[in-house]
Amino acid sequence: MDSLKVDDVTLSFGGLQALSHVNLAIEEGLITSIIGPNGAGKTSLLNCISGFYHPTHGEILYGERRLTSASPHRISSLGIARAFQNIELFSGLSVLDNLMLARHRHLKYSIFHALFYWGKTSRLEAENRGYVEDVIDFMELEPHRKKTVGSLSYGIQKRVEVARALTLGPKLLLLDEPMAGMNIQEKEDMVRFVIDIQKERNITVVLVEHDLGVVMDISDRVYVFDFGELIGGGRPDAVAADPKVIEAYIGEEERNEA
Amino acid sequence: MSANRWLATGNFFATYKEEQRIFLTHLDRAVFVLFIAVLFTWPIFFELSNKYMLVINNILIAMVAIIGLNLVTGFAGLISIGHAAFVGVGAYTLASICQVIGYDHVAVTHAWPAMILLCGIVGAAFGAFAGLPALRLKHLYLAIATLSFQMIFEWVIHHTSFFNQGQTIFVGRVYWFTGQVGRSEHYFFWYYVCLVTLVLLGLSVRNLLRSRYGRCLVAVRDNDRAADAMGMSPGFTKVYAFGLAGFLAGIAGGLHAYMYRGVGIESFTLHQSIQYLAMAIVGGLGTLNGSFWGPAAIKLLDLQVENLAELAGKVLTSHLSLATALRPLTFGLVIVLFLMFEPRGIANWWRIVKSYFKLWPFRY
Repeated sequence: MDSLKVDDVTLSFGGLQALSHVNLAIEEGLITSIIGPNGAGKTSLLNCISGFYHPTHGEILYGERRLTSASPHRISSLGIARAFQNIELFSGLSVLDNLMLARHRHLKYSIFHALFYWGKTSRLEAENRGYVEDVIDFMELEPHRKKTVGSLSYGIQKRVEVARALTLGPKLLLLDEPMAGMNIQEKEDMVRFVIDIQKERNITVVLVEHDLGVVMDISDRVYVFDFGELIGGGRPDAVAADPKVIEAYIGEEERNEA
Repeated sequence: MSANRWLATGNFFATYKEEQRIFLTHLDRAVFVLFIAVLFTWPIFFELSNKYMLVINNILIAMVAIIGLNLVTGFAGLISIGHAAFVGVGAYTLASICQVIGYDHVAVTHAWPAMILLCGIVGAAFGAFAGLPALRLKHLYLAIATLSFQMIFEWVIHHTSFFNQGQTIFVGRVYWFTGQVGRSEHYFFWYYVCLVTLVLLGLSVRNLLRSRYGRCLVAVRDNDRAADAMGMSPGFTKVYAFGLAGFLAGIAGGLHAYMYRGVGIESFTLHQSIQYLAMAIVGGLGTLNGSFWGPAAIKLLDLQVENLAELAGKVLTSHLSLATALRPLTFGLVIVLFLMFEPRGIANWWRIVKSYFKLWPFRY
């Protein structure tokens, strides 16, 4: 079943076409990867889905809802969470506070309740603190719970970034290069987390990643972009054999011979 | 929970509700309660002259205003150079009412708590309105937008006959259960009103800051893109921050008007706005207790410098205008020194002292 449908989306900045007539569907419950060389439009697509950019042409549908012109906070409240490529954490706050901030929408008490902090506020805060703890446990962040995010290592910060998106309680999770710049062990950990997110938490995952080994191993579907165009898509083995994909990654054969 | 709830040094929480507490140990709470009790009782035993009582009341009112400024500039990271104008909006709300229904109308003299609240609400409305540029502007550009609000406010007051062109508009003496509050007990009475207001607002803001309504402020300060992705509307949050600051400023303005028994533009000028900003910086931006340290430090320093200047004026020849230069000089020096050596303000000293006592006799 399709959960997200990108229908003929074009995104242009002046004369530059970041995406041109992209059609794809994200199936529910699967890990879908988006790959392509630098500047291919992978992150632009993610930005369109999560509402940071609005497509110049075309539609993005999530179930019955149009996401095309919705704002990021609206989209996140529909159950689409996103982890950023460049770490965009609240760097002055602790890991715990960063994750609690992601529960913003779930803390349904009014400002007047908050002023007194009795009953409802206290109860909801405690409940959601429990939820956050569950995510901390899942992402194995226990030793870093109270530490300021800015003081943590890059690999851990990336993990907090994913954890924070997970804390939103999404049905669809967009991960923008969660393994970039990591060492082999951190990368293996992250791969395990991504698989667990899909298998244990039943969250649909969209993964933008450069590491082709990882992508081919864990993805159920792969889409390949080049210069803003979708040049191939389908099961990983089929994509790996697609001549257009090979051409985009390795270059034309004639040029190699010449 | 640890057996010793008085001196617990570590984290012994067993439930998430325990973690929500403001005071980690009984000792913390006891010290706080004792301190508040002292604040409430000392004027009964010691009688201060009106001059010093006025300074103390001014400090309390400034603290109310600075809590507001700290919320918008410290917590939400939106520099506001128009805070005195927001305080002025509160004060002029009361002044307008006095102009329309008369300064000794029963609504002004008897329903003064409602009037002060009204000042806060009008302040919040103006604050939110003046905060609208925050939807599009950031950093210095936003600061300039708030500065323009300050300028417009001053201009309007100066050029409107309804506001007496900025000259004093009188506010009547209020009534308490014991009858009219007379000249001799005026400052004594307003000390208590300001103190009660400050304690109530302080505790409310403390609560607000550990709820989602406080956390969202810090989120838009640290990273408004991420805040957006986490389900908070950054634009709304910024306008809300200005509204909150306007509310506290408005309350401070109402108190100011009642305590001075009059409203004049000279208390709400750009100079005052900058002084507010200095208080927030010296106290410690982004900390609630900094909102109390800052006004106390700056106002008391001001008082000392004034005394010193008076003394210097007697010793030195009269045409040396050292006395008038001394105040702005020390004021500027204090800000520069704080920005250089302790940008996190006096609140940071407080933190260091507290952790020292917590760890003593160990060093870390």
